Formats: sequence, C-alpha cells, structure tokens
Amino acid sequence: MIESKPAIAPAPPSAPSLRAIDLARVASRALYLQALFSAERQQGPGFAFALLPVIRRLYSGVEARGRALARHLGFFGTHPVLVGYVLGVVARLEERRAQGAPIDDTQIEYAKRALASPLAALGDPLFWVTLRPLAGLVGILGMTLLPLADPAGPDLRVLVCPLLALLTYNAVALKYRIDGVPRGYALAEDPGKLLRSLKLAELKRIFERVSAFAFGALIVFTLRPMTESADPEGLGLAHTVSVLAPFVLGLIGAALGLRRWPGRSVEIALAAALVALVFSTRV
Amino acid sequence: MLSEIFRVALLGGVLAMDRSAGWNVMLGQPLVGACLVGAFLNPGPQWELWALRIPLGVGVLLQLLLTDPSLPAAQRPRDVATAGVIGSSVALLGLERLSPLVPLTTGGILWVLVGTVAGLLASVAGGWMEVPLRARNQISARRAEELALLGNLRGFESLYWRGVIRVFLRGATWSGAATVAGVAATAAFLPRIAQLVTGPRAGLIFAVLLGAAFGAGFHTHVRAPRHGLRWAAIGALAAIFALLRLRGTAP
Repeated sequence: MIESKPAIAPAPPSAPSLRAIDLARVASRALYLQALFSAERQQGPGFAFALLPVIRRLYSGVEARGRALARHLGFFGTHPVLVGYVLGVVARLEERRAQGAPIDDTQIEYAKRALASPLAALGDPLFWVTLRPLAGLVGILGMTLLPLADPAGPDLRVLVCPLLALLTYNAVALKYRIDGVPRGYALAEDPGKLLRSLKLAELKRIFERVSAFAFGALIVFTLRPMTESADPEGLGLAHTVSVLAPFVLGLIGAALGLRRWPGRSVEIALAAALVALVFSTRV
Repeated sequence: MLSEIFRVALLGGVLAMDRSAGWNVMLGQPLVGACLVGAFLNPGPQWELWALRIPLGVGVLLQLLLTDPSLPAAQRPRDVATAGVIGSSVALLGLERLSPLVPLTTGGILWVLVGTVAGLLASVAGGWMEVPLRARNQISARRAEELALLGNLRGFESLYWRGVIRVFLRGATWSGAATVAGVAATAAFLPRIAQLVTGPRAGLIFAVLLGAAFGAGFHTHVRAPRHGLRWAAIGALAAIFALLRLRGTAP
C-alpha cells in the first residue's frame, strides 16, 4: 500500500485506495501515451488509457467508471517522458475524490493543466532539443574515437555507437519515467514543490554546454584523419586545402542555409549533393 | 528478398512505435535505426565488411541532417524513425543486387550516398504518411467518447490497443514499401549513370554531403544554445590537446 497524505474528508471505511501495483500499471501504460494522438485532443485519449487501472480500482459501477473515463478524454498535452508526474497527481486526486473528499471535475482538470503546461515547456527543450541530439552526438563521437578491432573484419562499432546513444539518452530519461507516477502521487498536494524538485532547466543548461563541447571535439576528430590522408604524396598545403574544400564548403553552405531557412536540412543536403554532382561532371 | 523485406518491415514497425506510440526511448533515431538494419540484414559473407560500415555511414549522416533544434510544434513533419531503416536497407539490398552493374572502385561510399539520399527522401514522404493516421486517430477519439458515455471501459481499451497496432502496421508497411520502391528506383536509375559514377566523383559528393551534415550539426549543437560557440571552441581545443598528448606519448 502506498503511503498517502491526509485527505480533506475522512475516508469511509470501505473506500478503496491505490496500491503500488496500480501506480506501476499506470506508469507502464504511459509508454503508449501518443498512440491515438490527434491535433484536436493531442494526448487526451492516451492519458485516459494510462489512468484506466486507477479508474477500475477506485470506482465500481458502469456509470461511475464511464464518467471518470470521460473526464480524462479531453484535450491534454505534455512531454511524454514527464507525463508520469501528471498521472500521479491525478491518481491521487481521483483517490481522494473516491474516498469522499470534496473535489470536483474542475479541480482535477485545473491540476492537470497547471502541471502539464510547465512540464511541456520545460521538457521539450530538455529532452527533444538538447538531450536527444546530444545522445546522437555521443554515438557519432564513439564512431570517431573507437578504433576498428579488425580493419578487415566486421565493424563492431555498428552495435557500439547506437548503444552509446541509447545509454546516454535513457540514463537521464528513464529516471523520470520510473520516478514520475509515484513522485507525482506523493507530492500531489504541492505541485510547485514537485516542479522545482525536477531541476529541468538546470539540466538543460548543462547538456547544452556538453553538446557544444562534444561537437567542437567531433570536428577536430573528423578533420584530423581527413587532413592526414589528404596529401599522402606530400604535394603541399594547397593540395590539402583543395581536398578539404568540398567538406568545408558543404559545412559553411549548410550552416548559412539553415540560418536562412531553419528546418530545411533535407532540402539543403539534397541541393548540396546535386550541385556537387553537376560540378563534378563539369570539372 | 521477401524475408529481408519482412525483417525491414518488422524493424520499421517497432521503431515507428518508439516515435508515434510514445515509447520515446531513442530507438527511433536514424543512427540507431540504420545500425540495427546492419545487424538485421546480412547480404552474405562476401559483403560482411560493407554490410556493417554502410549502415554506420548512413546513420551518422542522417542523424546529423535530421536532427532539428526547433521545438516539436515548429518542426516540419518528418518521419525520422523509419528514415534510417529505409536508407540503410535500400543501400544494403542495392549493394547486393546491383554491384555487378556499378564499378566497385567507388567502394562503399557510393552506397552510403544512395542510402543517405533514400533516407532523406523517405523522411519527407514518411511525414506525409502520418496525415491519414492522425485523421483516423481523430475518428477513434470520438468513438472513445461514445464508449466512455456508455461506461464501456473494455471497449475503450480495445479501441486504444487497435490504435497501437495501427501505429506498428503503418511503420511496418511504410518501411517495407518504401524499401522496395527505393531498391527498384536505384535499380532503374543507377545502371544508367554507371559511367558517371567514378570513385573521385562519389568521393566529392560524399565530402560535400558530410560537410552539409556537419553544417546541420553546427546549427543544432553550437548555434542554437547560448554560449554554444564558446563551448565548442573549448571542446575543439581539448580535443587538439588530447591528440597532441597522444602523439607525444606514442612510441
């Protein structure tokens, strides 16, 4: 049985309360939060689906369960990794309501929105914009740093690099996934404290710096072998520069292009490849 | 080919679950998807070397090119989860079938280019494929409301699981179909320009594409964050220092 904070109204003797297994079921169902994602309701149906074990535990009777389900089917949107905190808070409020506390639909909806919006605003920049690109970068750095075990044999980096990326991302994200529902349940009475305790903005700042640092190192580790192999016959600096020029021109072109047209990396890359093909047939 | 397409479809379906169903454990990133294809598809012992290096090359280029530093709401609808799978599969299946028609002097670089271009195109087309899925989800959400009013929790649950299966099937169907289309397009197009595809030419295009990928990486990792340039410079200096130290200690 999960330790619960005192409710506003005393629970009737037969009032059901949530068990740890119910919260674990909610957390596992949160992994399918976006399966019915649509522009109209976003993660609303997924939120209701994740909360089903709580509804089944707390309410009996077709009508009461149907009403509880309908309460959570409306619009809902937050960061999928952090949704556990909202689910935990709502589970606690539903439990108190089932136990007789004077909590109405509006209060539950208000608590949901009050937590979901800041979690989305903090989670998207941390996980999507910073941590996920950083994890990919760690995988790529692994490729440049790890030596080939056998130059003529199978390249094991094909397994090691994605594994590095997966470990980097999940080392951070899994903690929030596992921690979310029980922590949200425990701190349901104080959402402000819950939000502050996550330290998402601080983490983002750290990962941003690590990401830029790693990219600087990646440029050096990539340019080094290119420079060393550019002039094996010792033809001089001009030759090395001419060999590296396509790479540098591609880099500058894409960086400037993305500054002008953000999000158009596919079009810019395809255009660069086409220009290079045409150029190579003319020269 | 049928068993290979089946494996590609299976992998594509699982990765689509990561992106669209809500797992979000990073499986749906191009680097991971492309490398998993290398482990799943084995074109035979004579290709063992390339079968692992080509997916790695395709994955690295797609990972840098398809990482968008803007917030999800501002991003273009691109299916990055299956792009790595499709790109890598087209390259490996094309390598196995078309190598007699294309001179091998270009080595694996040509197939990395083919895979990367296929992956980029697949990411754009895959984004369009999401539109009917979202429309179907909207209909399901309305049906869910009706079931809730009836108090039919079991009905709602099965409706939701059908949505999960739909995400998997969409990813699987799209990955399999796009791979077949990609291999067919490569088979139709590449032999016609076989004379043009020389080693130096493929190398030049690869260098430009690698540069573009690093340009996209610069945009994501250095330009977007505050003080990014400062930290990138520190990282570069640290790498140079480490390399010099290593060179100094080498026998």
